[in-house]
Amino acid sequence: MKHDLSRRKFLGNGLALGGSLILGGSLLSGCNNSGSNTDSNAAGAKAAGSANAEPVHGGRLRVGIIDGDQSGNLDAHKPIGGGIIRGWALYSKFWEWDEHVGTRLALAEFAEPNADASAWTIRIQPGLEFHHGKTIDADDLLFSILRLTDPNLASPYAGLVGAIDRDALRKLDDRTIEIRFKQGRSFFPLDETLISFGSIVPVDYDPITNPVGAGPYKLKKFIPGQRSLYTRFENYFKAGKPYLDELEIIEFKDQVSRVAALRAGQIDLASWVQAEHSALLKADERLRLYASPTTSFTGFNLNLAKPPLQDVRVRQALRLLTDREELVQRALNGFGRVANDLYSPHDPTFNHDIPQRAHDVDQARSLLRQAGFQDNLQLELTTTPGAGANAALVYAQQAKKAGVEIKVTQVDGSVFNGPQRENWLVSPASTPARGFLATALHNDAPDAIYNRTNFHDKRFDELYYQALAQPALEPRKALIHEAQRIQHERGGLVIWGYSDILDAASNRVGGLVPEQTTFASWRFDNLWLKHA
Amino acid sequence: MHKSLQTASASSEGHPAAKRAQQHARWRLPVWLSWFLGRLAYGLLTVWVISLIVFVATLVLPSDPARIILGPDAPLESVQTLQHQLGLDQPKLVQYVHWLAGFIQGNWGVSLDSQLAVTEVLWPRFANTLALLAGVVAFVLPLALVLGVALALKRDSRFDQAVLSALILFKAVPGFLLGIGLVLLFSMPGVNLFPAVAILDPELSIFAQWQYLVLPVLTLGLAALPYLTRLVRSSMIEALDSDYVGAARLRGIPERRIVWLHTLPNALVPAVQGLALTLRTLVGGALLAEVIFSYPGMGVTLHAAIQMRDLPLIQAIVLLTTVSVVGINLLADLLTVLLTPKLRTAPRKVMIQRNTRGIQPGGVADWRGLPDGSANSA
Repeated sequence: MKHDLSRRKFLGNGLALGGSLILGGSLLSGCNNSGSNTDSNAAGAKAAGSANAEPVHGGRLRVGIIDGDQSGNLDAHKPIGGGIIRGWALYSKFWEWDEHVGTRLALAEFAEPNADASAWTIRIQPGLEFHHGKTIDADDLLFSILRLTDPNLASPYAGLVGAIDRDALRKLDDRTIEIRFKQGRSFFPLDETLISFGSIVPVDYDPITNPVGAGPYKLKKFIPGQRSLYTRFENYFKAGKPYLDELEIIEFKDQVSRVAALRAGQIDLASWVQAEHSALLKADERLRLYASPTTSFTGFNLNLAKPPLQDVRVRQALRLLTDREELVQRALNGFGRVANDLYSPHDPTFNHDIPQRAHDVDQARSLLRQAGFQDNLQLELTTTPGAGANAALVYAQQAKKAGVEIKVTQVDGSVFNGPQRENWLVSPASTPARGFLATALHNDAPDAIYNRTNFHDKRFDELYYQALAQPALEPRKALIHEAQRIQHERGGLVIWGYSDILDAASNRVGGLVPEQTTFASWRFDNLWLKHA
Repeated sequence: MHKSLQTASASSEGHPAAKRAQQHARWRLPVWLSWFLGRLAYGLLTVWVISLIVFVATLVLPSDPARIILGPDAPLESVQTLQHQLGLDQPKLVQYVHWLAGFIQGNWGVSLDSQLAVTEVLWPRFANTLALLAGVVAFVLPLALVLGVALALKRDSRFDQAVLSALILFKAVPGFLLGIGLVLLFSMPGVNLFPAVAILDPELSIFAQWQYLVLPVLTLGLAALPYLTRLVRSSMIEALDSDYVGAARLRGIPERRIVWLHTLPNALVPAVQGLALTLRTLVGGALLAEVIFSYPGMGVTLHAAIQMRDLPLIQAIVLLTTVSVVGINLLADLLTVLLTPKLRTAPRKVMIQRNTRGIQPGGVADWRGLPDGSANSA
């Protein structure tokens, strides 16, 4: 019965949208190799998105997420586990991500740095409201930023906005605040670092007793580790949105059982599915697979604090022996693109003039020989099980061809991030799609949250600090171009690929459009359900 | 219960032994009560020792909850702040004594991960696990009994051989495969009989959502069925070969009556112990079914708690499991005592005198409503 209905719906929609084209597109892309695969997929889905019939209101969307072992919470500024995804329903920020990993204004109507980015002025739109009816004013803005940066909150993301000077926060008028930075420093990437966790909450906010924000959905019920239920927020700042009456986020522990739930119609949307399941999901005509070609990088950290990785020749050899195409095919199941040991290719400041590093085993061997290794270099690669381990095993095979023995050691997540984490010689690296300056803050910037590579380079640090103080694009571009050349020549990251994010949804789900970011399926204010 | 309590208090006031015996006869005070209480105290000791073992084990685990909760990107200052807030920077012994004192007072602490009271996290999960267990018992027990008896009666026939082989097949197939097979069979497009995944609505009673229980119960039940059926079958065969059955047959008692009323109760003891063994494994969480069907039971909760190094939750789950295991053992032993023919048929006086372990068969026949009395007197 259900089956018939959804097939009819599928056909109906297909006709309405010129679905044969889309079908053809996805069939073709199935035959192509990975590179064009994701592009045409994205194109197909985009066409579907724009050609989609008008969104309709109503219904309850059931979203299945994988939350790991954590129960998670609802804390706007210290989201844990699925708390980040739940935050997309509950909270709004000054900015929101656009589809190309840039930022655009959301609650704010004005947000600009001064000439050297040592101060930001932010003004919110008039007449905005929280879920409980309180009008958003400057006190709430100050409260939100102070709470995020409060050392007692111990937010794991405080490091991203560690530059903010809590004592210099100023209210300019009822809707406007000014943010300055410690020691009068400059901090241009404020939007990209405050956007993720800088949710605006009221002064009477409490993550447990009063979890209200200004996001598209209000909380109805939260059961940690199991599910959460939300209802539509009528006074959401985007007129006419959101579309759903109710949103339900259901947590799964296991990818297989979530796919089973999706196929059996128990959930409507599975966020971030495994590439291994892509064929199965594509084959199910009641479902659609959305591949977002993100610029999230994936690679390996080389720990420069440990011998022999201090030797730049060894690092370059480890980059040269990398067969990136094979890694993309085998470790990402073809859902990704080759990278050039650099991150943030979408950033307008990205240096496209640096030639792609080729797979060159002979040169790798000769560099290793110069560094004093005659087929006897042994390294240990420590990883958590899962995707990181797959890539590590492929990489170890490739290294063998250049005479490098890589021993892959798998440890569980709690050990990996535990007190011994400084000791890992080689470990998997990945950062979700962000701009250059923000990504650097996650990796090898001088004041990085956690610099796994221990890369410290005087010139690179200078360039980075200068870029932080340079809001104008062209001069900043020049600085970052040089910084990226340094990373390419002597950095500690082996970045072999950019990975796609896969989402799968029932044909009933509208408003899901692949994009360059990782969170196409978390834009709950865009999602809607086709009725009938 | 009320009556026995009354009698117990009366006897503790130092009545003469004769009067006590009289009262026993009158109230049928279960003499096994003292044995039972002894076992109970022993159980509590077990619980305490296990809490100590769990605590020591968590000390050995690398890493700590603060780091895991905050994730890889957390700066060290944040980790240290959280460690302090969670009390993890106190000496380990202090942490343990703190926890133990709270536990005895009924305060099981707060989950480090979710910041909810442990009981709030635990009870719904425990109830789910119990519901699962009840389902497994309701499914497996009657089936194992009927099948076991049928096989024993038709032993070595084609039917016996075929069913035994099928049972061995179920036993040999790994449980997860069984589960996935059932999902493919019952809940994929076109069939859709039962939900593939047990995402229970916490708002509703589990009995209102029985359809979610079907596949997990089938998976666990089919895995446990071969063992129990074969236990019943073999002890049934043994009992059917015994002299009293022969004697009963000679007396012309109908076969049906012999099988179900005279033989089966005697063949139940191994099955009771077997069922207890199955339940003991499942009560700590039927991890397998819980993962395959995303069933929110104790198993996944414990697994997550260990991954998160969430000590209060680990302790509570392990102790609850221990208590349940001790309880199941106690119940199984009690049933065994009540079912054992030797105890039941021995003269009461002799039993009471002989009964150094406090086992008392009195009142069993009445309690069970079985016509053993008639069989004995016959």
